[in-house]
Amino acid sequence: MGRVSRRGPAGLLVSLVSLAAVLSGCGGGDSGDGPVTLRFVWWGNEDRAKVTEAAVDAFRAKNPGIEVETEYSGYDAYFQKLSTQVAGGAGPDLLQLDRATIGEYAGRNVLADLGPYLGGALKVDKIPANLLEGGKVDGRQHAVAAGATTQMLIYVPSQFRAAGVTAPSAPGETWTWAQFTEAMNRIGAAGAVAGTTDFGWAIDWFEVWLHQHDKSLYTPDGELGFTADDLAEYWELIGTMRAGRGVSAAEVTTKMDGSVQNSGIVTGQTASEVGYDSSVTGYFGAFGPDLALAPLPSDAEESGMAALPPVSFGVAQRSKNKDAAVKLLDFLLNDPEAGELLGASRGVPPNEEVRARVCAGATGGSKAVCDYEVAQQDRIGPAFGAWPTGSSAVKRDFQRTYDDVIFDRVSVADAAKRVVQDAEQSLGS
Amino acid sequence: MTRSAFTDATGTSDTSDTSGAAGPPVRDSPPPTAAPGRRRRGQGVAYLFLSPWIAGAALLTIGPMVASLYLSFTDYDLFSAPNWIGVDNYATMFGGDERFWHAAWVTTKYVLISVPIKLGLALAVALLLNRPRRGAGLYRSAFYAPSLLGASVSVALAWRALFSTGGTVDEGLAAVGIDTGGWVDQPQYALLTLVALAAWQFGAPMVIFLAGLKQVPKELYEAAAIDGAGQGRRFLSVTLPMLSPVILFNLVLETIHAFQAFTGAFVVSSGRGGPSDSTLLYPLYLYQRGFTDFRMGYASAMAWVLLAVVAVLTALVFRSARRWVFYAGENR
Repeated sequence: MGRVSRRGPAGLLVSLVSLAAVLSGCGGGDSGDGPVTLRFVWWGNEDRAKVTEAAVDAFRAKNPGIEVETEYSGYDAYFQKLSTQVAGGAGPDLLQLDRATIGEYAGRNVLADLGPYLGGALKVDKIPANLLEGGKVDGRQHAVAAGATTQMLIYVPSQFRAAGVTAPSAPGETWTWAQFTEAMNRIGAAGAVAGTTDFGWAIDWFEVWLHQHDKSLYTPDGELGFTADDLAEYWELIGTMRAGRGVSAAEVTTKMDGSVQNSGIVTGQTASEVGYDSSVTGYFGAFGPDLALAPLPSDAEESGMAALPPVSFGVAQRSKNKDAAVKLLDFLLNDPEAGELLGASRGVPPNEEVRARVCAGATGGSKAVCDYEVAQQDRIGPAFGAWPTGSSAVKRDFQRTYDDVIFDRVSVADAAKRVVQDAEQSLGS
Repeated sequence: MTRSAFTDATGTSDTSDTSGAAGPPVRDSPPPTAAPGRRRRGQGVAYLFLSPWIAGAALLTIGPMVASLYLSFTDYDLFSAPNWIGVDNYATMFGGDERFWHAAWVTTKYVLISVPIKLGLALAVALLLNRPRRGAGLYRSAFYAPSLLGASVSVALAWRALFSTGGTVDEGLAAVGIDTGGWVDQPQYALLTLVALAAWQFGAPMVIFLAGLKQVPKELYEAAAIDGAGQGRRFLSVTLPMLSPVILFNLVLETIHAFQAFTGAFVVSSGRGGPSDSTLLYPLYLYQRGFTDFRMGYASAMAWVLLAVVAVLTALVFRSARRWVFYAGENR
C-alpha cells in the first residue's frame, strides 16, 4: 500500500500525459476536406521496412493530399499492440495480417469489406484468383494478398557439401521423407551444426504434410480437418530426426517464432530451415548470400506446397479514411514503381505483370525467390484457403504443446490428443 | 501502511524513553482544538489538494474496476459488444481450464521461492549497511538502484541475454566445467532465472529494513550485552522482535508484488510463458487470454480471482501477525 501511494502522483501524471496525447491525436486528420492522414502498420524486419517506407514515399509524392504515418515491429509485438489499439478505437487504417489473423479479425468485424471497391478503386484483375481467395472470409473480400509465397527449405550449401549431402534444386527434382531424414541426420552427425531447425513447432508445416496425405488443417466450415493420429504420426516422423541430431535441440527449438533473427541458420545452429520464401530476402540480409532453396520432401505425387499470401493487407472497419486507405492499397499492389521498390519483400508481387517485371531484374534474395518459384511452378498447388476464427489460439497451443514433446514432458500421442481437444474448444468460441 | 509501521516503531522508542518519567507521554495529549468554521475551511483546502488524486482514482482505478467486474460476467472479445453469460467464465476457469491451474501453480512456486529469498537478502544487506562506515551512502544507492530499474523491459531483456544459451551465465558456467546450457531455454531452470531477477531487486525492502534498524533503541543492545548476550543472541532477541513490524510490512508488500509479477516473465519468454509453460505466471496467462485469445471477459474474471486470493492471503498474514509481530509497549 505504501508503494502504491508513493507511485500514485507519478502514475497519475503519466496517465494524464498519455491521455492528453491520445486526445490530441484524435483531433488531427479526421476532417473531410483537408489533408488526410493514414496510419499504415505492418510487421517485419528492417529489410522489409526500408522498402515499404520507400514505396510509401513514392505514394506521398503522387498524392500530396494524403499523409501516411507508418509503424512496424516484430510479429509478436505487432499483434499485442494492434489488438489493444483497435479495441481502444485508435487502430490503424491500413494493416498487415497473416492467415491466422485474417479470420480472427474479419470474424470479429475489425476488417472492412473490400467488395465495393473491387474493380473500381481497387484493381485485382492481375492478381491470381487463388491468391484472392485467401483474403475471403464468409465469401467477402476482407483482405488482399500482399504477395505470393511458397513453402521451402532454405539451406547453407557449403554445410550440405561438407556433409556430402545434395538437395534437389532443378525443376522436377524431389526428395522423399526418408531421403530427407537421412540427409539431415548425416549433417547432424558431421558435427558442426544440426541438419535443420526442428520444424514441428509451427502448424504451417504440418499443413503441408496434411495436404500430402489428402487432408487439410481446417475444413471449409472452419472445423478441424485432421485427427490426433495424423498429428502423432507427423511428430513421430520428426522425432526420428531429433534422435540423430538431424533437427535442432529442444533449447534451440523452443525459441523459434518464425522471425529471421531467431532462426537457427542465422544464429549458426542449423544448416537449413523450413520457411516461406517471402522471408528469403530477410535471410539474405541477416546471413549473407551463401544460401539456396529446395522444395519440401514428399512421399506422394502431391508436393503439399501451395501458393499462399504470406501476408495480406486489410482496411480497418473503423477507419474514417477508407477511400484513401484503399488508394494506398491499390498503389502498393498494382503500381509498377511500388512493385519495383517492394521487390520480393513479402513474397513475389501478387500482380502478375509487376511480378514478371520485378523478377526480370531481380538480384540476391529476390532472384533466389523468383528462381525457386519458377523451378517449382508445376508442383505448387492452389491456395489452402483462409484459416477460421480461433485459429491463432490453435497455432499458439500447437507450439506450446510441441514444447512439452521436445522436452520429454508428455508422449507424442497424448500431446497430439491435447492439441485436437484444445483446438476444438478454440474453434468453437 | 508505511506510516503506521513507522509510527509504531517511533512510538516504541518514545514510550521507552518516557516510560520512567512522570506525567503522560506527549503523544497522548489531546489534539489542539480548532474553531469549527476554521476546521471546515481547512478541510476544503485539503479536498482541493486531494482532488487530482480523487479524480484519478475514480477515473483510472475505480471506474475500470467496476467495468472489469461487469466484463468478467460477459464474453467480451475486445472488439464487439459484450454479452452477459453469467458465471460461465468462472465455471470454465475452475472446471475445465488446465492451464489456469498450471499458471496458479507456477505463480505459487514463484511467490514461495522468490519472496523469502528477496527478503532474506534485503535484511542481510541492510544489517551490513547499518554499521557506520565510509561510503555507506554510496553502497546504499548501489544496492537500491536495481529496484528503480525493477519493472523495466530493458532489465528483463538483459536478463534474457545473460541466461540464454550461449549467454554470459551459460559460457561462464561452461568455463568452470558446469554445462547446464541456457537457463531461460530449459523448463527446469527458466523459473529460477525469474526468481533471481526478483531477488536481485531487493533494494526497496532493504531501505525499509534499514529505516527499521535505525529505530531499534541502542539501550536494548547495551542491556543485552551486559547480560552477556553474544552477537547471534542479540540479533535473535533484540533485532528480530524489534524489527517484526517492518518484516510484516515488507512481507505483505512483497507477496502482493510477487503475485503480480509480469514484465520479467513476459520479456524472458517473448510473451509465451515458455519453454513448455514453465514461466507461465498467472498475470501472463491472464494477459494471453485477454489480448492474444481475445477473451477479455475471461481475463477479467481471472483478475478478480487473483484479487480475491491476494486479499485472503493478506488477511491470513495479518492474522498470523498477532503471534509473531511484537510492538514494544505491549504487555506480554
